[in-house]
Parts: sequence; C-alpha cells; structure tokens
Amino acid sequence: MPTLRKPITLLLLPVLFASSTITAFAGEDQMGFTTYFFSDSGENSVITTSFNLAKQLLEQTMLLLDIELDNVTVPPVTAVTGATRPQRRKGEPFEKNRGQVIIGIEQGIWTDATLAANVYSSQEVDYVSNSAIGTFSQDLFGRNTTLTLRGQYNHDRVGEILDNGDVVNKRKDLYTGTGGLSQLLSPTTVLDLSYDYVLVTGFQSDPYRQVNVRDASGVTVQTDELHPSKRTRQAGAAKISQMIPSIEASIIGSYRYYFDSWDVHSHTGELRFNKYIIRDLILGIDYRYYTQSAAYFYKDQYVGQQYLGSASRTADYKLKPFSSNNFGLSLTYLLQGLARASKDLDFLQNSSIEVMYFRYFNDLEFSADIIQTSLKFSL
Amino acid sequence: MTKAFVGLLLLACSVTLSSLNCANVKASEREKLADPIMERQNQFAKQTLSQKFFLSREGSIGGAMGIGGGCGCAK
Repeated sequence: MPTLRKPITLLLLPVLFASSTITAFAGEDQMGFTTYFFSDSGENSVITTSFNLAKQLLEQTMLLLDIELDNVTVPPVTAVTGATRPQRRKGEPFEKNRGQVIIGIEQGIWTDATLAANVYSSQEVDYVSNSAIGTFSQDLFGRNTTLTLRGQYNHDRVGEILDNGDVVNKRKDLYTGTGGLSQLLSPTTVLDLSYDYVLVTGFQSDPYRQVNVRDASGVTVQTDELHPSKRTRQAGAAKISQMIPSIEASIIGSYRYYFDSWDVHSHTGELRFNKYIIRDLILGIDYRYYTQSAAYFYKDQYVGQQYLGSASRTADYKLKPFSSNNFGLSLTYLLQGLARASKDLDFLQNSSIEVMYFRYFNDLEFSADIIQTSLKFSL
Repeated sequence: MTKAFVGLLLLACSVTLSSLNCANVKASEREKLADPIMERQNQFAKQTLSQKFFLSREGSIGGAMGIGGGCGCAK
C-alpha cells in the first residue's frame, strides 16, 4: 500500500491545484494541469506531472509555456529487463527524474496566418535533449482548409553512467520536417492529413543494453549493442472525424503508415468513439492496433565473430517484429454546467476535468496500465 | 512498399484537393465541429503523454505533429 501512496496523491493533485489557481488568470488565456501514472509488466513505473499555459500578450501574440516532470523507477536487473539501466548497483531499484520545459511565442503575421517559435529542453541524469521548432500555419479557402508546416532541430546528448559514477556523453542530432493539412468536408466532418520526415544521425544505441553473441568457438559472450549511425524515418497519416448529431456522438478513425531506412515498416489503426452519456459528461472508448516488421539487422541469435566487431546488432524490443493492442476508456466532465448554474463561475465555460485509463499489451509478453487525470482551463 | 505509400499519399491529396471545390462550410455552420467530442482543440503542439508511451515501446514515429526528444521512459 505505501507504494501506491505517491501515485494516488499525484493523481488527486489536479483537484487541489484547481481550487488554488482558478482565480489566477483572466482574459482569453488557457491553462492545463495533468498527472499521469504508468506501470508495466516489467515493474517499471513512471509518474508525470505537467502544467501548460497559453497566455495572450497582445492582440495577435500568444505566449506558450509547458513544464513537465517525470519520476522513473526501474526494478533491479533481471534476465528480462537488465538492458535498460546502468549496470552499477544492479541489485537495487534505479530511480531518476526528468524535467522538460517548452517556451514559445505564436504571432499572427497576416490574414489567417500564424508563425510560432518554440524552444524545448529535456534533462535527466543520463539524457539531455534541446530543440528549436518553427511552425507556420495558414487558413485557406474561407478557413475550410488549414495548412501547417513545421521544422525542428534536436541536439541530444546520450549519457552512460559508468561504474565510478561518471557520465560519458555521446551525440545524436535529429532534423524533422512535418506538413499537415486539415480540410472541412462538411459541417460535421473533418479530414486531417500529415507527413513526417526525420533524419537522425549519431549515437542511436542504448549505452546500457548488451547483446548475446556466439563467437567462432561457439562460446556466448555479451557485447554492447551497436546500431547504425544514420536513420531516415518517414510517416504518412490520415484522420477523419465525424460528428453524429442525432446521438450526440462522434467517431474518429485514423491510419498511419511508417517506414525507415532500417527496414522497419509499421501500420497503425485507431478508432475512437465519444458520446455524451448525460449533459456535460462525455464517455470515450478507444481501440488502437499496431504492427511492425523488424529492422534489417535484428536477429534472434547473433552468430559469428563479425558481431563482436563493427557489424550492427541490437537487443532493442522496438526493432523486433511484433503487434500490439491498446484499449482506452475516458470520462470528461465539462465545467460549463457550473458556469450555467452561477454567473460567478462563468469563467469555467470552456474548462474540463478528464480521467483516462489505457490497457496496452503486445505479443512480446509485455503489458502496461496507464492512468491519466487532467484539468483544462480556458479563462 | 514505398511506392504503395507514395500512391496512398497522392490518393489522399487528390481526395483533399477535389474536396476544396465542393466543400464550403460557412462559419455559421461550424458549431458542431467545435464541440469537445470532436477533439479539435489541439492548441498546444506537444505530444500527449499516451503518445510518449507509444514512442518508448514501438519503433515508429510521426503522425501526431508533436514536439519530443528525451522521454524519461527508461529508454
């Protein structure tokens, strides 16, 4: 029971947070607060708390701020999970924290167009990621169409904590280009299309992960994972959102096809159904199916002296062939009911409280439970 | 497979471009599209926490217009 105290407290935090902050903002600003608890069949757990704010500074200028904190606990090393954490003190649970900040400005530049610039920084004891993002968005054809273009550069430092506690860093760079198109098809239907291209260069292995290799004499030895230093990744996605006014519900279906230069191909399909079950209370039901092929250098068993040299090898579960299923349930309560009840609470007109549960499992005998609570205010 | 992907992309673009001429939804007709059950409110361009989880377990990215890098997810 003591192990549940922290996640339960954090999941209740949005309610406490709301009562202390809802009077802090005024005007057309938006803010949100989210807590997230994750646990899986490998006894890993993550607790995340997140706060975001969009504040209008001038008529066409918006300030964006997002702060996120993670607490990650990895169990003692076992035969199954021993690759995902430092080897020192491997008989004890490993706990680490991560902090993330995004700061941005969104500026209206001409009729129906905005330009946004964001900087992103994420830090944990053995991983640092810094990023700059530029986004251009233009409404077209009487605002029936929205075109969005985004460019992003990430500079990451992948760290390895050595036995003596020192950290050795290796460099990874990511260049991302994204295009998106949203199109109104009718008063109740919207189509979204997107395309992503990502070039990744540098160190792309896990510095802690070991691969079993059988050498020329038939002896199995462990050696560091070694992934290629360049990877191009592409994805195209389509989503259609359909409102069904007669039953006060919506259906949202999406599909994504992904492929990369390591020969990983994947298909992702998702279907979501949202319905008002009573006034101001929305039930959401979600199903997601995912399947992927293996990277060209993935093998169940590496045999040969070359795998102790420069030949690529991996123990990464993300590069194996597998399929997964994800079921989700959510309840969203719109606080507009409170706004209707009292003029003093009119500022809650576009605010909501949401609770979500996801159950994920795949055919690699992995499963996870995810609980998320969030508060969104539009003040 | 890449050719199939390009084909699908072109088909999707064709459908969208052809719809530009026939779909003209007036501002006064868009009330239903703004309903919370349509999930169109995505002002903050960051990946959601559930998307972050998928990134940590699966070998694919993209399709969500998100910002990322470093996930605190036991890599």
